[in-house]
Amino acid sequence: MDFAFTEEQEFFQQTVRDTIDRIIMPRVQELDEREEFDFDLWREFAKLGYLGIRHPEKYGGMDLDVISQMIFYEELFRGDVGFAMTVTMQILMGTYFIGRFGTEEIKQKVLVPAIRGEKIGTICFTEDQSGSDLAGTRTTAVLDGEEWVINGTKMWITNAPTCNFCTVLATTDPSQGIKALNFFLVEGDMPGFSRGQRLKKLGSRSSVTGELVFDNVRIPRDYLLGEELGKGVQYAGEILNEVRVMTGLAACAIARMAMDDAKQYANRRVAFGNPISKYQLIRSKFATFWAWYEASRWYCYRCAWMIQEGLPCLNECMLAKMFATEMCLAAVDEATRIYGGNAFAMEYPPQRYFRDARFLLYGGGCHEVLQDYLGRVYLKEG
Amino acid sequence: MNMLVLVKQVPDTEAIIRARSDTVLDIEDKYALNFFDEFAVEEALRIREKSGKGTVTVVTLGSKKAADALRRGIAMGADEAFQIEDPALEEADAFATAKTLAAFIEGRDFDVILCGKQAIDDDSGAVGPALAQFLGIPYLTSIVALEITGEGKEARAAREIEGGREVVTLPLPALFSAQKGLNEPRIPQVAGVMKAMKAQIAKIDLQALGLSPEDVRPRTKILKFHPPRKRPGVKMIEEEFPRNVEVLVKILREEEKVI
Repeated sequence: MDFAFTEEQEFFQQTVRDTIDRIIMPRVQELDEREEFDFDLWREFAKLGYLGIRHPEKYGGMDLDVISQMIFYEELFRGDVGFAMTVTMQILMGTYFIGRFGTEEIKQKVLVPAIRGEKIGTICFTEDQSGSDLAGTRTTAVLDGEEWVINGTKMWITNAPTCNFCTVLATTDPSQGIKALNFFLVEGDMPGFSRGQRLKKLGSRSSVTGELVFDNVRIPRDYLLGEELGKGVQYAGEILNEVRVMTGLAACAIARMAMDDAKQYANRRVAFGNPISKYQLIRSKFATFWAWYEASRWYCYRCAWMIQEGLPCLNECMLAKMFATEMCLAAVDEATRIYGGNAFAMEYPPQRYFRDARFLLYGGGCHEVLQDYLGRVYLKEG
Repeated sequence: MNMLVLVKQVPDTEAIIRARSDTVLDIEDKYALNFFDEFAVEEALRIREKSGKGTVTVVTLGSKKAADALRRGIAMGADEAFQIEDPALEEADAFATAKTLAAFIEGRDFDVILCGKQAIDDDSGAVGPALAQFLGIPYLTSIVALEITGEGKEARAAREIEGGREVVTLPLPALFSAQKGLNEPRIPQVAGVMKAMKAQIAKIDLQALGLSPEDVRPRTKILKFHPPRKRPGVKMIEEEFPRNVEVLVKILREEEKVI
């Protein structure tokens, strides 16, 4: 048993942290306030090559190990959460199926420019009536000759207003439930594809989120991303392992930032003649956070290790995502209490962590659905 | 055009440092490449890129953590890295460091040697000039501009002096120490970071350099570390203008004795 990062991973972590500190940290407040996707920052960031960390070198990627990828995500989420969402969408969800199942032609046309940051991608699971409930997917894909015809509307899609391509979850037979789910590639310039309303969000506001509409979009037959029909739900489970660990580490990063800010505030803020960090009730908040934070973070890295080793870890990744997110929500709440009334003012950071952290609840499965599933598994097998 | 850059891993500016005893410091495990060394590495890379040929080598003295300074150099674009490590160098001062580096450079061919104007941990700023002295080559400290001229035989460098800029021409090989403002150091690309992660760092000990522990015996001795004085709390002057100016002047003159 070895819980240590390698020397190389430590160096990688330090370098990524330094990069985020230099190019993202100074802009965090502005990015949140502007509520726009920052193309200049995107281009600057893309030049550094991180968008290719999980793809093969052949396509301009780095083929980094899973632990190092997770180290990258954790450091990235210390910075602006909205920007981090766009980046992780591009690296992980937005290009996952293209990298795994795309033809060589698709990879050259879509993956290579995506790694360079020249094309922006996204994945579309959610609809207005379904999200964590994948069986509720109503978007359809019907084979017509040598083309699939896609119809439906996707909602809550990260990068929807800016994306150049998307991976779409659709059913090839609505009567078959989850057994007929498949992933398809749609490009942004295809007839029938359009971008609907953009959503105004509580947090992660520098990532743009909205609706995508597919009205008789005709795509080539080989734009089906998968080895055979009906395996979509299995593939979804596989990508969701990585998404959940990434989300868990995002939670750790946001929580740590909030509590580190709160630590500085507690040392500075004087009440009843002393810095408030001298009071036991304030100290206990840090002690409790510290314990939960360490437990969350190392459980997430254990899951990352399981993914890397190819071990089955669907349940573990769900547990990690849920546990780390609940830890984060408690931490950002405690941070606002340490800041007292100042937490309510927009010029102090706690409100931003408080708002941004809420998004963690939904990505990778909402907790009520995960709890229901995990409870069922535990009662049966645990 | 071959460049050598002297680099050092130093405690991060945010690392907590406490004196355990008069001469021993407890330093929190947060280290980074010395702030001024980044300008030196960047400048070497720019000279290589501009001339279209040559190599950039980075070298450091020190044990385990020191290698990270070299990896940072490689991540930025350096071609080769050397770590000089020896138990006899643990207490190395500026003299010992310069002496060791001089032995390392002997027999190697460098046109330009660059280093930071000082390391932000001990702030001595002496290694560069001492090394140039041992090598018998010219040097210029705290440069803010550097240009290779005379078909690679000369360099024109500038530094800021009171009220202006001093421009100096030196024959190469020469040593330069970098001041902030020389350039804007690049952020490493992930390809460079990966290269740095995988790089085998060549290690050299004193014996390989033909030196004995006596050759690098420190010539300075640390007697005592004094922690900086704690900053007093903020004092608010409650009076209204212009009475507050009078109070401020009184404090500065009589209490703080600074005017």
